[in-house]
Amino acid sequence: MGEAFTLAVSAVLLAGFYSAMAYGLGLIYGVLRIVNLAHGGIIMAAAYLAWQLFDRFAIDPFLAIPIALVVFFAVGVAIYLGLVRFIPRGPAGGVQSLLLLFGVWLVIRNAAYLLFSGNEQVIHTTYATSSVSLLGGSFSVTRVAVFVVALVTLLALHLLLSRTFLGRSIRAVAQNPESATLVGIDVHRVYVISFGLGTALAGLAGVLASTLFAFTPSFGASELLKSFVIIVLGGLGSVVGIALGALVLAAAEVFAVYVVPPYLTAAVGFVLLVVVLVLRPGGLFGQRVLR
Amino acid sequence: MTRWRPVAGAAAAFLALYLAPVLLPIDEYTHDIVGLTFVFMAAALAWNWVGGYVGQISFGHSAMFGVGGFVAARAMTALDLPFVLAWLAGGLIAGGYALLWGHPTLRLRGPYFSIATIGVGEATRLIATYWSDFTGGSSGVSLPLAGNPSKFELYWYGLYLLAAAVAVSYWLRVSRIGLGLLAIKEDVEAAGDLGVNPTLYQDVVLFLSGVMVGVCGGFYASYQAFIDPQDMFSFDRSIGLILMAVIGGIGTVLGPIGGAVVFVIIQEYLLANYSDLYLGLYGLLLILIILFEPQGLTGLLRRLLRLRPHRFRRERREAAT
Amino acid sequence: MAVLSLALTGCIPGRDGDDSDSASGTPDKIVIGATLPLTGTESKTGARFKQGYELAFEMENADGGIDVGGTKVPVELQLLDDTTDQAKAVNLAQRLITQDRVNFFLGTYSTALVEAQSTVAEQNKIPYVTGGGAATSIYAKGYTWVFGTLAPVANLATTEMEWIAEQQAAGALPKPAKVALVWENTSHGKDFRKGVQDFATAHPGSYEIVTDESFALDGKDFSAILSTVRAAKADLFMVDAHLPDFITMQRQYLSSNMCHQLITYGARGTESDAKTALGQTGVDYILSAVWWNKQQGNAGLNKEFVEKFTAMFGTAPEWYQALGYEAARSLFTAIARAGTVDKAAVRDQLSALDMDSILPGGKLRYPADKGGQADYPFVVQQNLPDGSSPIIYPAEVATGKGVAPNPTCHG
Repeated sequence: MGEAFTLAVSAVLLAGFYSAMAYGLGLIYGVLRIVNLAHGGIIMAAAYLAWQLFDRFAIDPFLAIPIALVVFFAVGVAIYLGLVRFIPRGPAGGVQSLLLLFGVWLVIRNAAYLLFSGNEQVIHTTYATSSVSLLGGSFSVTRVAVFVVALVTLLALHLLLSRTFLGRSIRAVAQNPESATLVGIDVHRVYVISFGLGTALAGLAGVLASTLFAFTPSFGASELLKSFVIIVLGGLGSVVGIALGALVLAAAEVFAVYVVPPYLTAAVGFVLLVVVLVLRPGGLFGQRVLR
Repeated sequence: MTRWRPVAGAAAAFLALYLAPVLLPIDEYTHDIVGLTFVFMAAALAWNWVGGYVGQISFGHSAMFGVGGFVAARAMTALDLPFVLAWLAGGLIAGGYALLWGHPTLRLRGPYFSIATIGVGEATRLIATYWSDFTGGSSGVSLPLAGNPSKFELYWYGLYLLAAAVAVSYWLRVSRIGLGLLAIKEDVEAAGDLGVNPTLYQDVVLFLSGVMVGVCGGFYASYQAFIDPQDMFSFDRSIGLILMAVIGGIGTVLGPIGGAVVFVIIQEYLLANYSDLYLGLYGLLLILIILFEPQGLTGLLRRLLRLRPHRFRRERREAAT
Repeated sequence: MAVLSLALTGCIPGRDGDDSDSASGTPDKIVIGATLPLTGTESKTGARFKQGYELAFEMENADGGIDVGGTKVPVELQLLDDTTDQAKAVNLAQRLITQDRVNFFLGTYSTALVEAQSTVAEQNKIPYVTGGGAATSIYAKGYTWVFGTLAPVANLATTEMEWIAEQQAAGALPKPAKVALVWENTSHGKDFRKGVQDFATAHPGSYEIVTDESFALDGKDFSAILSTVRAAKADLFMVDAHLPDFITMQRQYLSSNMCHQLITYGARGTESDAKTALGQTGVDYILSAVWWNKQQGNAGLNKEFVEKFTAMFGTAPEWYQALGYEAARSLFTAIARAGTVDKAAVRDQLSALDMDSILPGGKLRYPADKGGQADYPFVVQQNLPDGSSPIIYPAEVATGKGVAPNPTCHG
């Protein structure tokens, strides 16, 4: 009991948020083989959307989730149809799509600056500073709520991918676009929907982040990196893989306070990223994508 | 094209820039900014050796810029090294640092390498900010004003740096190493079959790039007379190098120079009144370049010179499919 | 490449047109350059300093301007936004000084930015007065053109510790007290840390520092550092943070259900923004020590400042505005006393300055043995549940009584 236990529960709570955050990036990479560098920008934009809804219309961030999902699904579809579609597939397009989506990120960041200035924003809900007692420890209500939402999301995604025709199409395209075409799947449509879905998930993560952290237009950079760490760690194999990857990262960050000064815990994820990439070059994306 | 023509052209340009401050009535502010721009050009060229020649997009070059800057600053304050030697020391250690993380990560290709470099850059920034005995933490390091060259003199040192970077860029392109790099860029495995050792070639190029960017960091320390880790190691600095190279023409020999000019002009023009606007403008530029002219300004220039619209249309058609 | 040089340089003549330095003529106006963080993380504070500057300029120009050798010369503020970015603060200062040729310079806000920017002033030999840089390291470089209106942060910690020692003597706080010391990784934070440490060393057996951790400026997540603090089971939670970090950290502190017998965030705590962001209960009983407070006295200069300020902006001033106002006013005074806009003469007047001031102690000087940094005591305040924040220390200016230990902690 005591401190280590409290930290362990914090790690699990954090892992919930992390897995919701990473899934969007993983889905887009799995289906389109594109690293969505705008991922962090979308997370930031969604945090601002939640803040605006809260500030102007007094909509609680957790109730704003459906709105964010719809809005960012549309944003994702627009980015795909307007920009990403024109980039050639395959290794030649890898660098191009990276730079293109990086440009999108810069534009989103700047748009947020112009609209809301660089000021730091927080959403102060009535329950923002309250806590609940859980298994002998005391934890922030918001963090617990975020964890629950993340869990529900992962479950819903799992059902979508395994039980519906759309989900099966997505998995088929991820495995092999050519043979997916042969069996009559509209690959282009699957690309559009996957990009939209991945962006919508980033939007969800942004709304959740807005309840946990203060944010500015440059928010999202480390969220992008952490998402990448998670999909490298856990692979895209399944919801379980993502969740495990998230748990490893969260635990490493939380328990790092025993090893490194708190100041450096933010660097743990980055170091972990480099180490994992080097030890498993080519990543764990390899063959079995979205099993 | 014969080989002496580019050399003669570069020599003429060098001479013109060398004499410009003496012959032309240039105001102090512009003079200083141009001197600093030379160094950004040199750094962008150095980024391009890895990003353009090998095709490994690094988002972490600020790490070497910062290491070079702080080593140079400490060498000047603690060891009393003359500034040129201090810059060189900064460059060498920055090059060594580049090898340290680059040797293992350069085996990764495409997005994996890029993302790993984001991790390297951010981890370096955090550690540098924390390591306040060396970097002064968030409060940075001040250089003594005496013993440091003035901004007026630094113009010429910046020009030398640029000349060195141009020479190496050209050499890397025409030498055997350059051919090897092209082979690696096209296909790593095939390059290995041709007898090119990809690991060695990439290590050498990254080391050179690290040294050059590190020396630029040292120059920057002398120029500002005050450096702090948040600024030196910032992600925006890495982004700046990428933007200069991409705007000018990624992988071309002199493109990054043009890119740096555009970059600095945009920045200076917007600095005082629209300081919030420039990131988005760069982003827009990046999107337009990738969609319409992946070779940047250089590609645009070539196209204008050749006026071959058919080729353009074919490329667009290919891109769209 | 020759085209390139032309494109960059333009055709602006004259690198020897350096005329503003000449002491001979009196100009039609005096232009004072300044940058402030009007956007970015410190925008709230930047806006407050701007108000202080505006009031000072307005009051000075109300009667025609500064008296320069018998002629009234209006002053003009040329203020740019440095977006809380060090590189930009440096570049803009460079631009204002070498291109726009401003006569004098008022510094930006926050230690990190001033630290970077003051170098430009020193290089260009232009008098630089800042109400926004408190770290002693800025003034320890041997610079002769840089003057700071904020007293050192170490004084802040010392003043707070004196009050804490009184409470210990009265039995309200434990002795020895376990201190969790958390500081921003800047010169500002290091000065605070040094102040607490020195006080603890000077009073052996009274304090045990159980946590000594730093954090990065503009952190977004403090959960790691807070879990370290929680594990240390301290009595006193002593932090030095800037306004945005204070709000973020306190929010996470409260949501982790943490409580200490005494909480302080250095100079932060009484700001209205903090109350908006955290709620009144979120800031209750926080101890803070500041450079100025309007409760300090309602006479003379203070009265004039508070009244004029309230008339102009419709709100009451906080220490930020007061320091901006005093920084500008001390520069005006030095110019008037120099009787010229010659930079060296004004610099000499700033060094020798001894003027009546609204700051604690009633006098403003920039003593050379402190490297040009003003030196005066702080006033300690505490937030009370009724929304007031009386001065509780030192006794001679106190307007209320402090509460210790923190009554909101259960068990």
